[in-house]
Amino acid sequence: MRTFLRILAGIFQELSDQRAYRTYLQWHGLAHSPAEWRRFSDERWARQARRGRCC
Amino acid sequence: MGSPGIRAQPPERVDSAGKLRAAPVRFAGRILWAAVSLAAAFAMGVIAQSRGEPVNSIWLVIAAACTYLVGYRFYAAFIAARAMALDDRRATPAERLRDGHDFEPTNKWIVFGHHFAAIAGPGPLVGPTLAAQFGYLPGALWIVIGAVLGGAVQDFVVLFCSLRRDGKSLGQMAREEIGKVGGFISLVTVLLIMIILLAVIGLVVVNALKDSPWGVFTIASTMPIALIMGVYLRYLRPGRVLECSALGFVLLMGGIFGGQAVAHSTTIAPWFTYGGVALAIGLIVYGYLSSALPVWLLLAPRGYLSTFVKLGVIVLLAVGIIFLRPELRLPPFTRFVDGTGPIFAGKIFPFAFITIACGAVSGFHSLISSGTTPKMLIKERHAVGVGYGSMLLESFVAIMALIAAASLEPGVYFAVNSPAAIVGANPQAAAATITSWGFPVTADQMTLLARDAGERTLFYRTGGAPSLALGMAKIFSGASFFASPGFIAFWYHFAIMFEALFILTTLDSGTRVGRFMLQDLLGQVWPKFGETGWKPGMLLTSAGIVGAWGYFLYQGVLDPNGGVNSLWPLFGISNQLLATVALCVGTTVLVKKHGARYMWITCGPLVWLVTVCFTAGWQKIFSDAPALGFLAQAAALEAGPHTAITAELVFNARLDAAITGVFLVLVAAILIDSVRVWIRALAGERKPATTETPFVLSTFAEGA
Repeated sequence: MRTFLRILAGIFQELSDQRAYRTYLQWHGLAHSPAEWRRFSDERWARQARRGRCC
Repeated sequence: MGSPGIRAQPPERVDSAGKLRAAPVRFAGRILWAAVSLAAAFAMGVIAQSRGEPVNSIWLVIAAACTYLVGYRFYAAFIAARAMALDDRRATPAERLRDGHDFEPTNKWIVFGHHFAAIAGPGPLVGPTLAAQFGYLPGALWIVIGAVLGGAVQDFVVLFCSLRRDGKSLGQMAREEIGKVGGFISLVTVLLIMIILLAVIGLVVVNALKDSPWGVFTIASTMPIALIMGVYLRYLRPGRVLECSALGFVLLMGGIFGGQAVAHSTTIAPWFTYGGVALAIGLIVYGYLSSALPVWLLLAPRGYLSTFVKLGVIVLLAVGIIFLRPELRLPPFTRFVDGTGPIFAGKIFPFAFITIACGAVSGFHSLISSGTTPKMLIKERHAVGVGYGSMLLESFVAIMALIAAASLEPGVYFAVNSPAAIVGANPQAAAATITSWGFPVTADQMTLLARDAGERTLFYRTGGAPSLALGMAKIFSGASFFASPGFIAFWYHFAIMFEALFILTTLDSGTRVGRFMLQDLLGQVWPKFGETGWKPGMLLTSAGIVGAWGYFLYQGVLDPNGGVNSLWPLFGISNQLLATVALCVGTTVLVKKHGARYMWITCGPLVWLVTVCFTAGWQKIFSDAPALGFLAQAAALEAGPHTAITAELVFNARLDAAITGVFLVLVAAILIDSVRVWIRALAGERKPATTETPFVLSTFAEGA
């Protein structure tokens, strides 16, 4: 049950980009701040908005 | 990577030279795989042999799941090992060209998730629901067989081609492998598909929300919810996406229950009750705003909300179908296989195969397979699970949608999906017409059902979404703890909200992607247009792309035959045309690599699609039946009484005929160009030029 919940939490964190944000902060050696989140999300969403989606 | 969610033996292994070889099957494995194959055949037999009595949907689930497993274990492994010779020692574009932006080595499950999220939209839900007018069997067979032998092969082969060519796009590969014509055609086709796709799915939303104050209120409430989420995420609690999504979900549930109160209020309900034209205009305005406003304000929060709701509902539907095992009440075949169907015109061949595109073969997937996915894979063998496996999962979603639609009483299914122009303008006449077809239904029965669902009426709710929502509501409310009349209404509107949210996410992101494509295209002529940050260019191109799909949407709303009738086949044809381009590229690469030996892998589905596209296209233009042929429809309208709207409808029918004709010419051109390249390569006139990148040893390879 604990493993299941851990996997579920992992999926949610992945879907919500929170894990990607953590990796981004670690990769660049940064600390979380509103400005850093905005920089990260702006770049990420700009890329996502260019990506096609199927029906 | 094993089959998604199923612990299966790995389909391939790496030999001492690092090349992939099909894994040997041990004795116990042989027994197991023989049992899986027999289970697939037996379940398929039960479905196919059943006549006259309802068959349990679990047989369809078993038949599909076991066929997918066998296809993944043997066919995908064969293609990976023999035709592609996938090599884990070869560095992928993600490794060689790593830039931390587009090219980034990524965990295989995350790539799988990204790829699946990009290929899975509302198409696999709506197409099978509409095609159920032929009965459940044709759709079920096409979804399962088409995906295993066609759709998944296309996605996998294109992903492989792009992996070996620095992650290049389908258009670039078509230009380099086939010629300039192929490249140009793929560019034009993508833009056309985008426009028609957006119009079609917009029409599905319009038909789902027509005269439904509950539905309109719930969907309208998602806009301010998205704005609240956007501000929350950017200024109040930056980075707390999960928290923000939970807040959005609670507000969304409030929107559904609030919609119930609105629908029951005689004062407020009229404020949210709209006809097709008003809803179409509303959608066009929404599309423009989503393209022109900053991503963080509307698009991104809606995307998060939609992802969580989408995943939740698909899992819920799968669990519901597996545990509750609803019976398939539609017959395996209906009388409408002869082309006289009320939902859309045309015989079972080719229109069943055109209507169901995304659940079986979808050309659009090749854009994703040659887009971001090949730039993220760490190892070549991950392409098997990501390319082939994710299409099988999409196909399974289509099977679930088919089950939801086919579990409705046939009379109810046709009453919901048939337009008034065909069955009769009042409930009594419609019920009498549908009953005369051999599918008994009464006006009182539909009134009761509409009351249970919290709607004024469920007649003439064309487009597929309402009947799918009704089927899903029936399945969910089949669980004893959900079974009460109030819950049917809740689940129906939840399903409507889910589909509309799903579709609007495709609509808004598609509009934005279309805007970028248009900016790129116009940027070739006037470079200023290519700058995405230039506001006048952004506003003008947004208007251009919204105007293009908005026109077709408006036309669909005015169409007296239900709109989807003419637009859905156009979308199917254009989507299958892109699949033709993708399969031509795949075949060309296989021919250059191995000669004629493995070209059947992609040539088989290609021949089938060309046959289907040409037959459907020809019939859509030249059929004598006004319900089917665009030119006959224009002639019939001209011969009838001239009203203000007649001239517009005649023009629209002729425009549709012209667009279909353009599609056919494009198919023929790409095919002729490809065959010319194959003949040259097979005749050995000269060494075929291939653009495959040279081997570079991967640092991820063991022992490297």
